[in-house]
Amino acid sequence: MRFLLAPTDADSLDRLLSAGRVASAEGLDGVLLRASVELPAPLVTAAVLARAVPHILVAVEIPIGDRHPLEVAEEAAVVDLVAGGRLVLVVRAASGTEDDFDETLDFLRTAFGARPFRWSGRRWRSPANLAENVNNPEHRTRLMPPPAQPRLEVWTGGAHGLAATSRGIGHLADVGSDPEELAKLWRTAEDNPAAVGAPRGLSAQWEGGPELVARLRAGRAAFGQDWAVVSAPASAAAELGRYVRPRVVLDELPPGLEDHWDSVTLNRTVLS
Amino acid sequence: MSQVAEGRERDLPERPASALSSRASLTRLGAALWTMQSTVAGPGNFARQYHEFAEDAQLVEQYGFASIWCAEHRIWYDGCCPSLLHVQASAVASTTRLRFNHAMLLAPQHDPVALARAALALDRLSGGRLDLGLALGHRDAEFDALGLRRDRRGVLMDRALDTLADVWAGAYGDRPPLQGPSLPIWIGGMAPRAIARAARYGHGLVLPPTLSPARTRATVTAYSEQLNGSLGGEIGMLRDVFVTDDARAAAAFRQRLRAHYREEIGSWWEIRGRVGFMSGGEVDRQLAFNDRGAIVGSPEAVAAGLSELFDAGVTHVALRVKYDFVERPAMREQLARLAEEVAPLLPAASGPA
Repeated sequence: MRFLLAPTDADSLDRLLSAGRVASAEGLDGVLLRASVELPAPLVTAAVLARAVPHILVAVEIPIGDRHPLEVAEEAAVVDLVAGGRLVLVVRAASGTEDDFDETLDFLRTAFGARPFRWSGRRWRSPANLAENVNNPEHRTRLMPPPAQPRLEVWTGGAHGLAATSRGIGHLADVGSDPEELAKLWRTAEDNPAAVGAPRGLSAQWEGGPELVARLRAGRAAFGQDWAVVSAPASAAAELGRYVRPRVVLDELPPGLEDHWDSVTLNRTVLS
Repeated sequence: MSQVAEGRERDLPERPASALSSRASLTRLGAALWTMQSTVAGPGNFARQYHEFAEDAQLVEQYGFASIWCAEHRIWYDGCCPSLLHVQASAVASTTRLRFNHAMLLAPQHDPVALARAALALDRLSGGRLDLGLALGHRDAEFDALGLRRDRRGVLMDRALDTLADVWAGAYGDRPPLQGPSLPIWIGGMAPRAIARAARYGHGLVLPPTLSPARTRATVTAYSEQLNGSLGGEIGMLRDVFVTDDARAAAAFRQRLRAHYREEIGSWWEIRGRVGFMSGGEVDRQLAFNDRGAIVGSPEAVAAGLSELFDAGVTHVALRVKYDFVERPAMREQLARLAEEVAPLLPAASGPA
């Protein structure tokens, strides 16, 4: 199981950097950023964080379908370059664009490939080859610069992203999703060899260590959950890293180990 | 990867001892123009360039410059940066005072609500250090890739400016910028319509590097008249500069500069109905403007050239030191010479900078 902290209190530069640094220090895999009233453009926030805090994965959850996907792809590619290839893009359908979700998702995945492309879909056309644009017309377009990753990691989020799992695309389920429903879904996806290894994530609210351990173990038992995105204040990162993570990474704990961990954690003895 | 990173760290100079006496005039100077291109004349790995931007910005700030400028294009072979606010965000944590500006950000090619929000995020995270340099864009293929008509770019620009104002006023549920009801906006171009648009909205200007001091003065006058007594914004100008005491180095720079602009004008511009390279002598005619606009020579000569622009009404000059054909150490040397040898020769800014 891998862990991303979705900080609920990263509303300023200092708090954002603190969240990233504490996630790194406490052994979490990275951070997931969503739009907030204070910071309404999570890809911008991600660029700030990724350049300032090395090593951590920086995941960003954004709506797609409400603006041209080439513009979204460009922003993601630039942020991935700034991050040295550590961006994970979690996309969900913007309100009112649910019917176009698969097309927009495929436009993005096509753009992230290295091949020039021509897109003629129901919703998007690129190049549009509009009659008015006459100077040096192009019949294919391309994403420049390309992202740092050979294939930028894209997951879907929310209910409309579920169908993409059958094509091997990772999915981040919303808080409160039914593990049994997710189990059904991933069983269907497994019929497709492309789905092998696709990330199976579930968002969770911070609710204290023991409760979260139980929830994540249940998620793994039900649908093979392998990513946990935990919405929490940065102050919860220590308990996530020291209490939750070890108890979820190992399914079966040797007798006595938890008592030992408790003593180590209680003493907080870190040599420096 | 880590070896490369360590190598870069070693290459970083000590904090430059920027002459404090020159600070006053440096408030009117910025460094330009980061585009993240990998061209035939100057190739460079994209990930390395995007990593280095934060270091370059830090250096620009340490030399005392007030601003760093980026420029946008898209879908071209050289990977010219299409998302300026996102690359500038990467330098927020390594700088504390430096302002971020553009020459230019192509507003009609962006979703205006997304642009407004990206600007809000960068404004907040940078502690209010964002200026928006907005222009129309001119390449048909860029508009076409986004499903937009180039001939509607003026309408799209007005819509973008209106939407920015609406988003920042809370019409979409957002908070206002840190810097006030509006972020500072500088409108690019020298066409009468661009000047009129800037004056109508009370925004500033970014004038092109080809404008002579005389035409600059005339443009500033026209802008001031159209402001009709309202405050207006800064009069910015992008300018090609190269400090050297060596005539051969100056000639070599001019030759490389012409080649640099020849590629852009030849490939992208439509001149009298024909594509640049196919337009006969028109490219050379345009290049002559670039050549005349470049300020090349001794610190005294460069200071004199810049003073003429300030005298003509320009309030902020974005000094272009970053080109695909200039290696990073040479770019740093230009920053140093401009800050330490040219800036002290300039009169300090009077009034608000």
